[in-house]
Amino acid sequence: MRNIGRLCSVLLFAGAVSCDTEVTNPGPVQDEFLNDRNAAAAMVNGAGRALSQGINWIGYTGAAVAREIHPAGSTGSFGITQKWQNGDLTTDDSDVSTHWEQAQRARWVAEETIRRMEAAGPPPTGAPAAERTAYFNQLQLAYLWAGFSNRLLGENMCDCVIDGSAILPQATYFTRAESLFTKAIAITGGTAATIAAQATAATGGRAAVRVFLNKWTEAVTDAGQVPIAFVFNMPYFNIGNDDQRNRIAYAVANTPYRAHTQWNTWHYNYRQATGDPRVPITITNLQGDAAIECCGRVNFWPQAKHPLSQSPIRLTSGREMRLIEAEAKLRNNDLAGAMVSINLVRTNAGTTTVAAATITEAWTLLKRERGIELWLEARRLGDLRRWKAANTPGALDPLESVGAAAHLTQQDLCFPIGRSERETNPNL
Amino acid sequence: MHRKWFLRVAQIPCAAAIALAAGQLSAQTGTISGRVVAEGSGQTIEGAQVYLVGMTLGTRTSANGRYTIANVPAAQYRLRSQMIGYRPIEQAVTVVSGQTVTVDFTMKQQAISLDALVVTGTAGTARNREVGNSISQIDLTAVQPPANVGALLQGRSAGMTVMPSSAGAGSGSMIRLRGNVSVAMSNQPLVYVDGVRIRSDGYQRNVPPTGSDLRSGNDIASPLNDINPNDIERVEVIKGAAASTLYGTEAAAGVIQIFTKRGMTGAAQWTVDISQGFAQALPFGPDESEAPPSDTIWACAVVTPCSGTMQAYRDSFPDRFDGLPTRGVSRAGGSSKYLFIDPWLRNGYQQRYTVSLGGGGEALKYYVSGTTTDEEGVLPKDKEQKKVVRGNFSFTPISNLLFSWNTSYTKNAIANTAAGNNAHGLTLNAFRRDRNYASNDRPEIVELMLNQELTSDIDHLITGGTANWSPSVNFTNKFTVGFDLAQIENRNLRPFGFILAPTGIISSRRNSYQNLTFDYSGSFVQALRSGLRGTLSWGGQWVTTDNRATSAYGENFPGPGKPIVSSGGTTLGFEERTRVINGGFFGQVLLDVKDRYFLTVGGRVDGNSAFGENFGLQYYPRASFSWVASEESFWPTWSSAMKFRVAYGQSGRAPGAFDAVRTWENATNGWGGQPAFFPRNVGNPDLGPERTTELEIGFDAAFFNDRLSSDVTWYKRDISDALFNVRQIPSFGFLESQLANVGKMKSDGVEATATYTLFERPSYGLSIGGSMHLYSSEVVSLGGAAAFSLGNFGWIMEGQPIPVIRTDFCVTNPEAKGAAPVISSDVEDCTFGPNLPTETYGVHTNLRLPYNISVVARGEYNGGHYISDGAANAATSRSVRWPGCYEFYTLTETGRASEIKAIDTARCVVAGTRADYWIYPADFFKVRELSINVPIPQRLLRGARSGTFTLSGHNIWKWVNDDFKTFDPETGNNGGFDSRVRSILEHVPPPAVYSAVLRLTF
Repeated sequence: MRNIGRLCSVLLFAGAVSCDTEVTNPGPVQDEFLNDRNAAAAMVNGAGRALSQGINWIGYTGAAVAREIHPAGSTGSFGITQKWQNGDLTTDDSDVSTHWEQAQRARWVAEETIRRMEAAGPPPTGAPAAERTAYFNQLQLAYLWAGFSNRLLGENMCDCVIDGSAILPQATYFTRAESLFTKAIAITGGTAATIAAQATAATGGRAAVRVFLNKWTEAVTDAGQVPIAFVFNMPYFNIGNDDQRNRIAYAVANTPYRAHTQWNTWHYNYRQATGDPRVPITITNLQGDAAIECCGRVNFWPQAKHPLSQSPIRLTSGREMRLIEAEAKLRNNDLAGAMVSINLVRTNAGTTTVAAATITEAWTLLKRERGIELWLEARRLGDLRRWKAANTPGALDPLESVGAAAHLTQQDLCFPIGRSERETNPNL
Repeated sequence: MHRKWFLRVAQIPCAAAIALAAGQLSAQTGTISGRVVAEGSGQTIEGAQVYLVGMTLGTRTSANGRYTIANVPAAQYRLRSQMIGYRPIEQAVTVVSGQTVTVDFTMKQQAISLDALVVTGTAGTARNREVGNSISQIDLTAVQPPANVGALLQGRSAGMTVMPSSAGAGSGSMIRLRGNVSVAMSNQPLVYVDGVRIRSDGYQRNVPPTGSDLRSGNDIASPLNDINPNDIERVEVIKGAAASTLYGTEAAAGVIQIFTKRGMTGAAQWTVDISQGFAQALPFGPDESEAPPSDTIWACAVVTPCSGTMQAYRDSFPDRFDGLPTRGVSRAGGSSKYLFIDPWLRNGYQQRYTVSLGGGGEALKYYVSGTTTDEEGVLPKDKEQKKVVRGNFSFTPISNLLFSWNTSYTKNAIANTAAGNNAHGLTLNAFRRDRNYASNDRPEIVELMLNQELTSDIDHLITGGTANWSPSVNFTNKFTVGFDLAQIENRNLRPFGFILAPTGIISSRRNSYQNLTFDYSGSFVQALRSGLRGTLSWGGQWVTTDNRATSAYGENFPGPGKPIVSSGGTTLGFEERTRVINGGFFGQVLLDVKDRYFLTVGGRVDGNSAFGENFGLQYYPRASFSWVASEESFWPTWSSAMKFRVAYGQSGRAPGAFDAVRTWENATNGWGGQPAFFPRNVGNPDLGPERTTELEIGFDAAFFNDRLSSDVTWYKRDISDALFNVRQIPSFGFLESQLANVGKMKSDGVEATATYTLFERPSYGLSIGGSMHLYSSEVVSLGGAAAFSLGNFGWIMEGQPIPVIRTDFCVTNPEAKGAAPVISSDVEDCTFGPNLPTETYGVHTNLRLPYNISVVARGEYNGGHYISDGAANAATSRSVRWPGCYEFYTLTETGRASEIKAIDTARCVVAGTRADYWIYPADFFKVRELSINVPIPQRLLRGARSGTFTLSGHNIWKWVNDDFKTFDPETGNNGGFDSRVRSILEHVPPPAVYSAVLRLTF
């Protein structure tokens, strides 16, 4: 018995002294590992995905409030809430926090990626050339994602907050974007074709934000460097993950959502009248996936610009640049010049040209043309707000304005600071 | 083939036991037999332990109260009979070789068993009188158990709340002991089975690892329900830190310890249970007659001319409407009383068969059992087929060393119907009638949702051995090693051609949960002086929790057929692995003065792998005092037992495996198949456990010759360093909240139980009783963090309960009639109340009739809490004509708008409705059990020693408050019982279950 007791005592002692509760679990990556230059590609991808998600949320909800789409039913998953159906982006609505959070994360991740990449520096001169070019390609792309994230925030958010700051001038987003695009343009050392294409995209992005900064001369200069055929897209993917799908497309994919329609939108009327290929709409004999208060069950005529879950969304294009040039000309009362620019876009898009007799008519056409060209690209709210602030001439279609026709009781033109930011940020 | 192999293996221990028992026959032995009955009633007592004092020879009485102890060496003995609820009794007996001596016992009921042994929360074993905290001992020996452990525990102990989630097959139950102790971590108590820790949180929900996480049956199974209720002898429940200190970090939510049956020395006893029954859904919507005039089918019937598809449908399928009211029905023939799903509801046939064998010799005792259960749910695809085998063996190689090894293995196959907030599911699409995702409420369309196949296969092994070694009478050691392996394989298939995913989707997930337990405790008892005795206890525990998950996903099948994941045009894989180690040591001193005063002081030191790198060990102290006042000379004789007790203690709850570390992760599926880092966790190197300090004061008492028994406990909890999900500033990029030990919370409550024997006669008797739990909780401090949401409108806010139901918007004039709703977004206006019940009352009665027929009834009221009804909002916001709005529709359509309440206007007018307005007070009363137990007369038992026949119904009647127009307060959401905030989504509420059970012993 004594031997058993001794044995147990030894075992217990051995067990006690060998106690070690330290465990390293696999899976999540510890923060410091991302300082490694080799993590840059995945970080840049993270910034891209974050931006794609930000555009997804803002683009869809913003399209509903701007009446680029009309609600057709669902209010929950992939749906349009009752408030948004009414055009209401109220500050107290915690549902809109998601939009703020997604967009802010996109900005922060992209800027953090740049910070870490620049801290790590490029591969040493003796490193394989492919590694060095890949680094510069990635760094420039990170700048692009950061620039477009700031543009997304600037065009769609009512107020500016950066990294937990107090409210900053709203134009801060645009000045940051301008700076980021400028740095992107300056990057060299990567693959020539990639660097050139990305620099053109940065130039287009910079032109767009300079419009909001009222730097029309610089905007037109930038726009002039972007060929009309140029397009730079945000990709989406259909690989089983809702967050990577084009949200506007998936919400009308009928699996099971038929959450929005082009019924009762000016885009439908315009398409019927002109057949403009930029406003494709599918006519079905279905109805939305639920009844909506204004109208009951409505016809399900979904947009077909983003026909698939993997349909990309344009971030910048040569045609947008021509419209910037047109708007700059209208500001200078150059009616003829503006119409030339507008019709360059229309001709390039494969549709008929238009004419205006007065500056006001030209403004109306320009506003419509931007609505057509940038349809469902998370850009319309920014335009509507900018024009409203500048009190520009030219009418909007009643179907995208407050009133019974559009079933809008109000039309908020920007997203408020998210409730989560307001409740956590001590500087607000 | 496999079954034969298994049976052969299973025979080995049985054969060994029989051989050992047979070996005893050659000695000079005799037999003791007899009968145990209750004093007064003369009712036979089943399950009483009858054993020779100082020896391991003994047995339990069968259902007719009889016992036999064979192979007793000829000698003189003291024979003892004991049973929870009765005063132990001893008699002298002389055993003569080759003869049978009869010893009958008449046991007197004892309301308070001061000398009953308690294991849970004590260092080793303690007598009830020594324990300063409240402990619930639930003796189940004579109880005819329901189908699962969750239902078994319902309403059994004051302060223990057990709530199911849905009617889904395999659905588990939420268990709370004295409410919540944590807002970030699990509040399920720790569960031990024969000293082996098992997983107490739920299994993985059967949902694809990517894409929508709603395409599921949206409920979860509980590992607790893998234990066969028929195998349980008793359950001990300690409800908080005052009692659970010795379990250390993880035990703040209390501990439930299950003790399974053991074999006793004597002849082998076979027990056979045959159970047949059915589950039936109770109505959970308004009567059809309450439907408004505009209700579709009714309108069709009365409007002239009636035309269109509605009339055509009625004409085509008259049988579907035959005998049904004309209002409040769907085109499938569903009625508003069941939210239109009744065409798919059924009385789910349930059957269970159990065989057990217990017995053994002096050296080896055994208890083996096998159970097979086949239960249909009320939904058409719901089915649970469970098989459980158990082998409990104890071996005494030498007189002071006892080895016991207990093993159970459960194999469970669950099939579920797609339910919950699942747009591809039956429940959601049936509830929403023609405004569902098929835009069609015809049965042949809705039925297409049944093509989703959801199956879960569970394998659960619980095995553990304990060695009790007592080198001397005052020195004892106990060492336990245990292993719990719970595995689930979830398969989720929407086949090619599925109505809402035409090219098909499949997922296959395997989750493995392992707990490895090492537990040692030792104690040394020393008489210090006359009337003063000291017990020094020490020990340690080491628990490794290892959770692993691998899952695969495929979509876009090439065509029809039975696919596997590899059949998909796109396939994805996922993996998760976490391991957490908790180790700790404890020491304790118990001072016993005159066997009436007991002072215990001790503590435990813990380390945990999830603590932050700057955080060291955690110390948890405890102290308790008990005084058996009824043994004082001055105590009045009308109080037969009185123990006062006070206990203080601390325990903790550790953070999760990754919570302390600042991390990034590859976003799900990367980005377009390429790796993509997303910020995940801000990290906190100072992260430690939350610490719960509890003080409880109470007494256990019996009065009037034990006719009245009662226990009352007041408790107070303070939770410091509470782990709060501190929301991060979104503009800093990390959107996930970070755990931090910043919070302070408190709760207090009173638990009381009482049982009174109204009369007790030989042929009849009646006892009644009740229990009460009053509970309140409060978040004292957020530590500077902002108030935060737990989802489902549950919030953590200073000065409010844990959690409180709060909405963004609310109606401030809800009862105003004819008035427009006044909407407020003020936080104070929109704060409702707690999500957990603050008042729980239980009633029970036991009526004994001639021939020992007994009738048992138990009911339970829960109230004071609030719940959100997400299903009603999801329907009304989509313009579904919702039965919860029938009154509003009727008043509107009959020109009585002045009678409409403002809250109904807010909820039912589609343009303005919000989920925020669908908050109800969740008070309810349910009849938990009504059963009649009839002993079968001996003359009808051919070859059987005893038999009983029991008819029972569980949850057969309910009352809910008037606000609750649809569903049931025990209806859950997509998270099942693990949901931190209970809310209602598109589930069929838990059903009533009726059963008839025949039990025979041989």
